[in-house]
Amino acid sequence: MSLAYARNDWYVIADRNSLEQGPRRTRLLGDEIHVSGSYAHPVIKDASGRMLPTQIKFDHVWTTVGDRPRPLFDIPEGNEPGRRLVPCGMVRVKCSPLRAVENFLDIAHFPFVHTDVLGAEPYTEVEPYKVEIREQNDEVWATKVKFFQPLAAKSAAGGITTDYEYRVPAPTTAVLYKTCPPKPEAQDVITIFVQPRSETECDVWPWMALYDDDTPYADLVQFQQMIFLQDRSILENQRPIKLPLDPRMEIPTRSDLTSVAYRRWLKKRGAFYGALAETL
Amino acid sequence: MSAAFTLYDYVLSGNCYKIRLFASLLAMPYQSVAIDFYPGYEHRSERMLSLNPAGTLPVMVTSAGGQVLTETNAMLAWMALHDGGAQTPWFPAVDPALGPQVQQGLAFGAGLTDSIGLARLHAMLDWPVDGEAAKRAGLKHLRALELHLTDRQIDGGLWWAGAHPTIADLACFPYVALSPDAGLEHDGFPAIRRWLYAVRSLPGFATMPGIHPLHELR
Amino acid sequence: MTWRPVGLTRDVPAGRVMRAWVDGQDAVVWRSTRGVLSAWDNRCPHRGMALSHGFVRGEDLACLYHGWHYGAEGGVCSLIPSHPDLTPPDTIKTRAFQSAESDGVIWVRLEGSPDLAPPAIAPGLDPLRSFEIRAREGDIAHGAAAKPFEPAILSLLFNPIAHDRTLVTVLIDAQATSDQRKLASRWCEDVRREVEA
Repeated sequence: MSLAYARNDWYVIADRNSLEQGPRRTRLLGDEIHVSGSYAHPVIKDASGRMLPTQIKFDHVWTTVGDRPRPLFDIPEGNEPGRRLVPCGMVRVKCSPLRAVENFLDIAHFPFVHTDVLGAEPYTEVEPYKVEIREQNDEVWATKVKFFQPLAAKSAAGGITTDYEYRVPAPTTAVLYKTCPPKPEAQDVITIFVQPRSETECDVWPWMALYDDDTPYADLVQFQQMIFLQDRSILENQRPIKLPLDPRMEIPTRSDLTSVAYRRWLKKRGAFYGALAETL
Repeated sequence: MSAAFTLYDYVLSGNCYKIRLFASLLAMPYQSVAIDFYPGYEHRSERMLSLNPAGTLPVMVTSAGGQVLTETNAMLAWMALHDGGAQTPWFPAVDPALGPQVQQGLAFGAGLTDSIGLARLHAMLDWPVDGEAAKRAGLKHLRALELHLTDRQIDGGLWWAGAHPTIADLACFPYVALSPDAGLEHDGFPAIRRWLYAVRSLPGFATMPGIHPLHELR
Repeated sequence: MTWRPVGLTRDVPAGRVMRAWVDGQDAVVWRSTRGVLSAWDNRCPHRGMALSHGFVRGEDLACLYHGWHYGAEGGVCSLIPSHPDLTPPDTIKTRAFQSAESDGVIWVRLEGSPDLAPPAIAPGLDPLRSFEIRAREGDIAHGAAAKPFEPAILSLLFNPIAHDRTLVTVLIDAQATSDQRKLASRWCEDVRREVEA
């Protein structure tokens, strides 16, 4: 269970669009949260009426319920000139917030879950790639990840081998850097910010920072929504609902190196909210 | 081939998917315009309201004659007739036995949108509706469909009506297939499962998020 | 353990998969292309995905998530698509339960003596349908008895799938006409409405 670690992280609680719809109730780490105000002046309160701190970053409103919150990580690419920043709204999933992050780090499911878009049989093989815990900021990184994709992005025409890097800066955030078809020297950035409503339910807020000035906003968002909603039907059908940290409970293979590192990293730092820490 | 119509489309909408699916089954080319239903609520924008004051999606504008259709059942009918004329097996409108049955299925499909469709929007996008009430209504619809398809099975039939799939099947398929998105599983509905599999096996079948392809057929 | 009636033979033809509940255990029931019926723990050992969402390829059931294949013979993993050249260790396997078919009904039990066959059903009955009622077996049996179906002989089998949910499998006199079968199907709905009210 261990709320202790999770309370001191920052979480997305709203975006501009959701605030424009008026006040609403949501949940964070099992407790009710009231969201009102405007994007410039968001008002976030817990069930007792206590005002929670807020900050605006990556086109979202972030909050924390902790007494000694860790600093919110940076995604420096978000400040690079020429990038289009694309918040994609929120999707609710009945799954552990950690399972949502782990799925985002996985490429081996592309041919089966994102068929003919991010992958297709018979191109199912995952080549060796590199996973490390970067010491300076204690983040999980997977690099030199490659996968053949029939239709990798809205700006791609035809199949290409896409290069990926993955970064986990916090237990409920995953950042993906991928080949950007119109600008080969740069990388598109696609992230998910996961708001843990409870250990078994989350709101997922995708956000992108792309080099794509041509594709209409609606098409960019819908590509991202298509991909994530394909994942949702998987995520709601994994058992146990919480992410098992005992390696004996779910058998990994070589292509799961990122997932293995992510689970170990969670265990090492005691980030057990949404995890099944005990052994069976 | 030139586009038969323009579709104002949203990728997660089961109603928009009815049109995409039928176009794929008929191999009918069309032009898609993505509308940011969520998070942008673009269907309520001035531009879209002037096209469809009801503010719903999809909207179809036919290339020949520029008809604007805003009801999915009417779009399905238009596509069937545009493709095969009055003899189309997809819409036996004037057949004394099948015609009324197909109308029954089209109306039932609209009921699925209002029940399962709403429950799904609530479960997935936190839509401000009574999700539990919509889910209860959805369960009633699944049970009614199961009864109908069990009758059909007793008569040796597979489709909603007759020996060929019709637009009634397509009007019902999306929200039934998507009902697990709203927490309504297919486990207790063997006749529905058989019918879903039959639709997914049709040549030219197209998927949408939440409806996976039949990998066994590859 | 007891044999539980989880559905009709005709509802799981070759190449199809369904979910079943057996004494509180989530199970996947599927039939291979050649017709071999299997019942397993409904969980891929890799990442916990429900195998009932999977797909049949020949004599294997594949998980929808990453396509890992498990063979009808023993439930051992036979293919990991992300490493197609790897021979998976035979420690990667699903937990298999016992399954049997008789009189058009599929029976599953978690364990027990292999010789013990599922209970015999009275001769001369056809499977009609199986459906769920949100009530306990006792209440359903009571409700059904209070509302006798006149046109033909019916037999009801019960499988408790949760404390307040029951899968009911209905068989009907093999001589019954189509109209009688449809009436019996409606009778099922009537019983459910009354029992759930």
